[in-house]
Amino acid sequence: MSELPDERHHVRSLLMRESLLDRDLQARTERPVVRMLPNVHVVKVGGRSILEAGRNVTVPFVEALRAALVTKKLIIGTGGGARSRHVFSIGLDLGLPTGVLAELSAADALGNAHILGALLSPEGVVAIPPALFGHLLPLFIRAAPGVIFNGVPPYSIWEHPPAVGRIPPHRTDAGCFLLCETFGCKSLTLVKDVDGLHEEDPRVNPRAPLIREISAKELRRRSLKTLPFDRVLIDLLENARLLKSFQIVNGWKPDLLEAALEGEHVGTIVHAGD
Amino acid sequence: MKSEVLTALGEALVRGSLTDEELLFQTGAGPGLPILPDANVIKLGGQSLIDRGRAAVYPVIDEIVANLSRHRMIVGTGAGTRARHAYSVALELGMPTGVLSVLGTFVSMQNARMIHYLLARHGIPFIEPAQFAQLPLYLEERRAVVFFGMPPYTYWQQNPAVGRIPPHRTDTGAFLVSEVFGARSMIYVKDEDGLYTADPKKNRGAKFIPKITLAELASLDLDDVVVERAVLDLMAHAEHRRTIQVINGLTPGLLTRALEGEHVGTLISAD
Repeated sequence: MSELPDERHHVRSLLMRESLLDRDLQARTERPVVRMLPNVHVVKVGGRSILEAGRNVTVPFVEALRAALVTKKLIIGTGGGARSRHVFSIGLDLGLPTGVLAELSAADALGNAHILGALLSPEGVVAIPPALFGHLLPLFIRAAPGVIFNGVPPYSIWEHPPAVGRIPPHRTDAGCFLLCETFGCKSLTLVKDVDGLHEEDPRVNPRAPLIREISAKELRRRSLKTLPFDRVLIDLLENARLLKSFQIVNGWKPDLLEAALEGEHVGTIVHAGD
Repeated sequence: MKSEVLTALGEALVRGSLTDEELLFQTGAGPGLPILPDANVIKLGGQSLIDRGRAAVYPVIDEIVANLSRHRMIVGTGAGTRARHAYSVALELGMPTGVLSVLGTFVSMQNARMIHYLLARHGIPFIEPAQFAQLPLYLEERRAVVFFGMPPYTYWQQNPAVGRIPPHRTDTGAFLVSEVFGARSMIYVKDEDGLYTADPKKNRGAKFIPKITLAELASLDLDDVVVERAVLDLMAHAEHRRTIQVINGLTPGLLTRALEGEHVGTLISAD
């Protein structure tokens, strides 16, 4: 192909002169990916469901975390819970956009991260400031049995406007998923106050049957009214290269945490594929 | 007076599921506040403009300076050829998309710093994401700021459906700044007159498209487009930023005219 005159100054590389928007070029960049933290587990601890559910729920679960930290390396993300939902409602009333709501919600999950960090201090497991967390993660996780971060991805005012309404679509489940995928961690466990995914919200219909295992594709097809995790996880799972499934477990049954980390099927497993 | 949002909806948000479409639908009610309705967001291309050096960059800087008295400008930068180099090295070594995103951020930061030094004598600051809270003051006082276009997703950058290149790069970062602030315009300054039916650098037969909607663009199913596809996806759901313009920064005067609201490149609109 004859090149047209080019007055740009290039650095020689595989992608030199290319439009990164060209589909053929994009396909050529598909390569195997290294796993940066292959022996580390990511655990998302629900805000409203665990950390704010009262001492009777929180303390036994924290003890389960403490026990797991003896043998396993954990990256623990926290949810923002009731305060994030409250700040969303105030922000919405004030007419503030999705990006601002996302920026605000980081603080609530960070508060919960610090509560959990205070409880796990004897283990040397603390809440890491978000600005340091990503870059220093491999160092921290080598130095301590676990680290805690606010599960909120650092999208802030760069959060995507959602298809419906104004609530930020990438919340703490998504932040934990993306981190787990990028660092090639061993597993992602979402700890909630339900046994897993049900045919209907079990808080509304306690008899709703549990779905033990489901694919992203099936989940998309069924379009359930509510999910016990950020809906954007379906999209993220479909595009994941390393993280091919995650499990939702009930943190009100603290023994399930260790089982889930051992790879046992004790809640709902959502997997990529058909 | 009690607000519905703070009573009924607030209660539903605290108790209900944020995956419930009916509840989410209610959160879209009412007009959103445009935070900086007078500000224009301008993105200067990396490979297309800044990598050309003085010949292309100086005239654009002059035009930005000439417009300081009339317009508020939030100027973002692309990454360009060094990002392509870093991506190439990292791809070969098996780095995930999240690491590529970190690398792209560094390069767009270099470009932002350079643009900033060219504008420094006019008192125009470079701001990092953590300094965006000062942006309104700088815009009011100095009429412009420079930022790096990459959204600060770093390790939380999502994978693309195909390949490894971060799908949300500097076009997307600038777009989202324009959207969240309810800005007056989003102008992409590149080295082509706008959108063509194919990459005009490789295909002499490519036809210019002066104006197009997202639906029309989707139906054309082009193999190459002039802005990141994520911008088009996000614009479909945007509350404020429903139109963008892509202009040729190598043609003097177009930026000024685009700031005046004239149609001088390709207009892509959601509606």
